[in-house]
Amino acid sequence: MKVRFNSMIKVLGVAAALAFAQGASAQSAGQLTAKFGVNQITPKVESGDISAPALPGTKADVGRDKQPVLIFAYGLTDNISVEGALGTPYKHKLYGAGAIEGTGLLGTAQALPVIAFLQYRFFEPTATFRPFVGIGATYAYFMKERGSARMTAITNPGSGVPTTFSIDSKFTYTAQVGVAMNLSEKWFADVTVNKTRLRTDVNFSTGQTQFMKLDPVSVVLAVGYKF
Amino acid sequence: MRHTKLALAVLTAAVLTACGGGTSPKGGDQTNRIAFTNQVSFGDSLSDVGTYAVGAVKAAGGGKFTINGDNTAKNVDLTGKNWLEFMAPQLNLPAPCAAQTGLQGDAARGFSVPIVTYANCYNYAQGGARVINPIGPGNAQAGSPIGETTVPLVTQIANHLAKVNGKFTGTELVTVVAGGGDILFQLGSLTQVGTTAGAQAFGTALATRLAAGATNPQTAAQAIGLAIATENARPGKTDQSVVQAAVGAAARQPGNQAVAQPAVYGPIVAAAQADGTAAGNSAVAAFATANATRLVTEMGTAGAQLAGLVKSEVLAKGAKYVIVGNLPDVASTPAAKTRPAAIQQLVAAMITAFNTQLKNGLGADDPRVLYTDLYTVSNDQVKNPAPYGLTNTSTPACGPNALGTTSLICTSSNTVAGDVSRYMFADETHPTPFEYDLIARYVLKDMAIKGWL
Repeated sequence: MKVRFNSMIKVLGVAAALAFAQGASAQSAGQLTAKFGVNQITPKVESGDISAPALPGTKADVGRDKQPVLIFAYGLTDNISVEGALGTPYKHKLYGAGAIEGTGLLGTAQALPVIAFLQYRFFEPTATFRPFVGIGATYAYFMKERGSARMTAITNPGSGVPTTFSIDSKFTYTAQVGVAMNLSEKWFADVTVNKTRLRTDVNFSTGQTQFMKLDPVSVVLAVGYKF
Repeated sequence: MRHTKLALAVLTAAVLTACGGGTSPKGGDQTNRIAFTNQVSFGDSLSDVGTYAVGAVKAAGGGKFTINGDNTAKNVDLTGKNWLEFMAPQLNLPAPCAAQTGLQGDAARGFSVPIVTYANCYNYAQGGARVINPIGPGNAQAGSPIGETTVPLVTQIANHLAKVNGKFTGTELVTVVAGGGDILFQLGSLTQVGTTAGAQAFGTALATRLAAGATNPQTAAQAIGLAIATENARPGKTDQSVVQAAVGAAARQPGNQAVAQPAVYGPIVAAAQADGTAAGNSAVAAFATANATRLVTEMGTAGAQLAGLVKSEVLAKGAKYVIVGNLPDVASTPAAKTRPAAIQQLVAAMITAFNTQLKNGLGADDPRVLYTDLYTVSNDQVKNPAPYGLTNTSTPACGPNALGTTSLICTSSNTVAGDVSRYMFADETHPTPFEYDLIARYVLKDMAIKGWL
């Protein structure tokens, strides 16, 4: 976390250097902005136990993933904006945990979070730094869930039927804080942290289920342009 | 405007990515990390896949120590499979087959079948097999009419080495699970002591109590005792027929006709049975006390000997993937649970001795050895059945059959009433196919952690 924070400061530093001496405006009423960046989603997993029949305490962990994002925002007023993102799906690895800790990679799944934010941006559009907060309606769409030999081995061994699983897609919400820095009249850089409330169920083809609290944190570093 | 077009292009690409084919769940890559070439198994009834599936045993639909037969049409969990039969296909290996078949028991009952060995079968495990001692429970020399061959592990391993020119290839998965034959043999000797003492005490009590009303109780008791002994010696006698003979003799004694009335002899028989049971239990307890140290020491020795075999005859001969399962918690099985607390404690001590010596004998972690703790998981299953999906961990699923209560000829047609598919035990000690499935999962879990899966 510390490393990431440091590199974040470096990016902002570089951006600040680029921006020196330029008069800055920023998102204002009626203005469309587009920014391109990298989003890292880190699920903060609290796994339930896989339902019977299973070794008690059979849990799962989910790894993080990083993908490019393209984010559009539109200023409704000088301080209020709406934001939406486009991106490629996030590929998450699922690992055995709890009683089956150490079993390694058991499966993969892709997540495509669709979020529409309503944001409030502080200060004047011309300010160099503009912190913002947002709240977003979120649809977490899961797809391409893939099992493995190991997943089959611990759920339905020797049957010749590979175990599959699906993760319930969910409507939920996301809270956002961030800060944008105007680099020039048209260019800006920003950093955003999103925290999504996400609790879902995993359904296995064996009839077993598992509750998962994922509550992912996503960190976006982006550079944008004002149209 | 140009920017907008770019944005639209990216958007289109993203949507296409998201909606592209194959978004539904799939099994994914089912390849194992290690491609084993063979599954070679040494052990006792827990690993036996059909050594005794011949003659009358086969005719009865049996052959494995579980609920036999594929009855998945009736219930998906009634697979009739042993844990090694869940393991092999998961490892992309053919179904295991018994390296030797045959029985050396009562020919009249169809239990004498010539011994045949199979060159291409690598499951050497035999029900009743002990680590070193060739006479295990079920063996004709242990008084069993079935006449199980109970080839001990030391010989099983030697037989395999003879077949493969003394060397493992290093690519086979070797499984070793034993100790069950050893502990059941010891439990059998305890039972024998109890049965003998109990029957003797019952006979004496019955004769004395039935004679009490006669003109000359002493003479009467002698006559009744003789009738009991005569009936006891007759093949095909039952507890019922012994009682009948005793009551008949008692009623013939002068002044004792009233004893022929069920209302009179009924309570007398019940009292005699109570005497017999008490005598049997105290005989077992006395035997257990007198022999506890010896029994525990012998089990410990067997554990150490098994570890020695694994090291000198399996690892030293080139095996690189060896699963050694410790002895499951026999003290939690119906065979032990139905006995007095003192016996249960003795059994627990015997298991601990075996497992401790086995583990110590294997020594420090060896990348070639996977020591899987079947004891702990079986102990937990009995105490905490729900997460495992087990519905009953105390009652055997198999009802009485022609061989008594052994699961060797248990099929879904002679199980007890109700849904037994997720019972833990098929008979007093052996798992149901569902429990074998759970064992396979547990071992496979350990294999994954070891990096073998």
